[in-house]
Amino acid sequence: MRAEDICQSVLRTCKAQGVSDVVVSVAQSEGLMVRFSNNEITTVNALSDVTASIFVNDNGRKSGANAADLSKKGLEKAAKKVVEMAKRAPAAPTYAPLPQGPFTYDPKLLGGGQVTTDPKVLVPYVKEAIEAAQREGAQRVAGSLVSDNGKLTIQTSNGAFGVMMRSAIELSLRAFCSETASGHSVSVAGKEADFRPAEAGTEAGRLAKMSLGAADGEPGEYDAVLGPLVFAGLVNQVGRASSAFSVEAGLSFLADKVGQRVASECLSIVDDPTLEGTYGSMPFDAEGLPTRRNTIIDGGVLKGYLHNSTTAKKFGTATTANAGLVAPRPFNLVVEPGQRSLEDLISSVERGIYVTNDWYLRYQNYKTGDFSTIPRDAMFLIEGGKLVRPIKELRISDNLLRMFSSIKDIAKERSWVRWWEVEVPTLCPAALVGKVRFTKSRR
Amino acid sequence: MEDHLEFAMSLALAQGASYAEARFQSDYYESNLLKNGEPEVASFETRRGMAFRAIVNGGMAFGATNQLTKKDIRAVVKRMLTSAKQAGRANKVPIAMGKAELGQGRVEVKPRVPFDAVNMDSRIELLREADAAAVSAAERMGVRLPGRYLSLDTIITEKTIINSDGAKVYSKIPRVALDTFITAFHPERGSVQRMYNLGESTGWEGIERWDVPKLLSEEAESLANILLKAEAAKEEQGDVILGPEVVGIVSHESSGHPGEADRILGREAAQAGEAYLQRDSLGLKVGSEAVNVVEDPTIPRSFGYYLYDDEGVKARKRYLIKEGRISEFLHNRSTAYSMGAESNASSRSMAFNREPIVRMANTFVEPGDLSFEELIEGVAFGVYIKNFMEWNIDDRRYNQRYVGLEAYRIEDGELRGRLRNPVLEMTTPGLWSAVDAAGKDLKFTAAYCGKGDPMQAIPVWTGGPHIRLRGIRLGGIA
Repeated sequence: MRAEDICQSVLRTCKAQGVSDVVVSVAQSEGLMVRFSNNEITTVNALSDVTASIFVNDNGRKSGANAADLSKKGLEKAAKKVVEMAKRAPAAPTYAPLPQGPFTYDPKLLGGGQVTTDPKVLVPYVKEAIEAAQREGAQRVAGSLVSDNGKLTIQTSNGAFGVMMRSAIELSLRAFCSETASGHSVSVAGKEADFRPAEAGTEAGRLAKMSLGAADGEPGEYDAVLGPLVFAGLVNQVGRASSAFSVEAGLSFLADKVGQRVASECLSIVDDPTLEGTYGSMPFDAEGLPTRRNTIIDGGVLKGYLHNSTTAKKFGTATTANAGLVAPRPFNLVVEPGQRSLEDLISSVERGIYVTNDWYLRYQNYKTGDFSTIPRDAMFLIEGGKLVRPIKELRISDNLLRMFSSIKDIAKERSWVRWWEVEVPTLCPAALVGKVRFTKSRR
Repeated sequence: MEDHLEFAMSLALAQGASYAEARFQSDYYESNLLKNGEPEVASFETRRGMAFRAIVNGGMAFGATNQLTKKDIRAVVKRMLTSAKQAGRANKVPIAMGKAELGQGRVEVKPRVPFDAVNMDSRIELLREADAAAVSAAERMGVRLPGRYLSLDTIITEKTIINSDGAKVYSKIPRVALDTFITAFHPERGSVQRMYNLGESTGWEGIERWDVPKLLSEEAESLANILLKAEAAKEEQGDVILGPEVVGIVSHESSGHPGEADRILGREAAQAGEAYLQRDSLGLKVGSEAVNVVEDPTIPRSFGYYLYDDEGVKARKRYLIKEGRISEFLHNRSTAYSMGAESNASSRSMAFNREPIVRMANTFVEPGDLSFEELIEGVAFGVYIKNFMEWNIDDRRYNQRYVGLEAYRIEDGELRGRLRNPVLEMTTPGLWSAVDAAGKDLKFTAAYCGKGDPMQAIPVWTGGPHIRLRGIRLGGIA
């Protein structure tokens, strides 16, 4: 069955059961992932998937399903079951109807380009990245390259209909010069022309080489230059916390702060799915509404939350076209660039630390923003504006609101970041943050 | 369906694979979500499809599809074999499968109360009752719960696994899971938060046994007490008693993960990381003689339960640390081959479209023989950390941090008052070496452990008894 036919068939069945609001979407994807470690290919994943999603909102009685059986009979069975579940569910106090279509989507965002998923091309890309890292001095290189082409079809009971072709290619790799001297880099692109495997390999290898001979760092407060991988992780926390769902669930340090200063003046963050040809570009949200550019933080001031129709009604505002049928979400985060280079940021620090990567950001309290995260890969002590030596074994234990309010400067160079620790693609520069608290394990 | 698996495997072998496996997996989820007392969405999801893996000329590839016609299967097997050949050409060190005790059999956990006997309105009603119980318990103490997130899932996983070395295993396992997240607030004392999960491989009877309203009521009381009565922890030296929930995560993060052979070999280096342990670390002393850490998939009702892994290898209990020394790594067949060992059935996959990789199942410190009172009696000055909120550990599993949530001062062998946010920030050998005794109790909590690329969240139990650590330097409020 064609995706369009699946949508129509499920809509018909649901509407025949008398429900008001229905969204049907069909996601088709065919991708290839090349995983590598110790300079060798450890496995190649060839994945092919078609899934139909059904969401019903019957005057606040909500249910949803992912159906794997896409035969006519299977779809009918799933549709009837979703409706039955909705009818049995208690009604939520807030009901907002789906946005009324039809809508016109930006044709530039509907895609059409393809990336290669041919292993005969992708395996050589991986070798190219590994060899680039080795030229910088790396002994071992590990990572993954993912290339994926997909088609997303959506149709709603309220007249929205859209088809998007989605392509993306990304490489995340880590180079080692010794057991603990490592560097990490990524290349994330919506089209193959923007994909730079060798550059990522070179950067990871260079950082690994620079971090050879790292000594244990000393705990304390330092001005910290956070590289794009680290800062993108923190910006992703803003993206997550700006979802109205997070605000309601007690999962947001941005709750009750709309209109207030939550960061220093130099920080502006937008969610921009309308950037053509980028990894996270999207023509429509999960309710079928055309997406748009939404400012989250402007000059340090929180401008608003990300909404779907239901959360918008609860908050007395309009949807921002960031549905998520249950939880609104950011698609494609963008940090506005600063004026100075990364080198200038480093050279402005009298005594501080340059952190190139981190992982395992965990909260003590999502509402207050108390958290810790662990620097990983290359990290350097800065003295007199220069990187004086590589260091290791420190943890950032601080508060996100305090850190965002202590941003002293933001670099002008930006790169797209997405990897294991950064879920939402983020166009991100480095940032200089004042008095970051570093702690250390006791033996 | 079995003939489709055989078809795929034969296809791979006929086209040059030295090893081939095929798996059908169906995961059926039903989920209810309650946020701040309001129903969010009731949902169901079927993830169902076939997975194939092959080795050709020393290169390995994995393929998966949820389109189950022979035409679709042939296409994905072809892509997989082309990929394996490319990988084999690029590699210097061939990948191979080591020896293992392969199974042929059926494993079925039969629920006493099947999931379809409990309709969705009863499920949401249970969550509402629990939510109301928590709100009332907190209000009685003058504390509000402004953020409550409760989710209740039932899952049925069915797998058929065959491979060219003779394994043939069918399994059907039901699971139940409860995820809770609560924010407690007092205008003068601020907020505290608690995340707590339970899970078992049973039918609905598992949820009935948990008594969710009572559980949530107790959690709310605990949070209210922390807000109202706990005093900020200070930096100080003393002994520490860790509760089973903390011992569980320490076992998982600081023994289980560094003992995964694929991490030791560097296979996860760019994602989940490597390990502070090396290939030659078997026998290495990393803790006191009081430390025995067990990994056991075969515990009935456990969240990580299985009797055959996803390579068809027969599961058994493993000692990761025995009397303070590294005793065994967790292996699948290819890591075992690389290290000259035998697989101990640690290969798991979370869904049909994920390759099986080395995973934990149920990881815990083996109980000792002291009661909780006896453990406390032996402490002149210290802290009891019952549970935690913030935690993390580096990717080699060497530096970890756990920030206590419900915690108490211990003086002269007695609990004396509540403490807020004591910080345990230690190295792995430092932590295990400080253990001088383990209690005789044993309790588990459930978690979904994240690893792999693409990410795989796999159900596990973590647990243990209370344990006592001597001479710890604790950090203060974080």
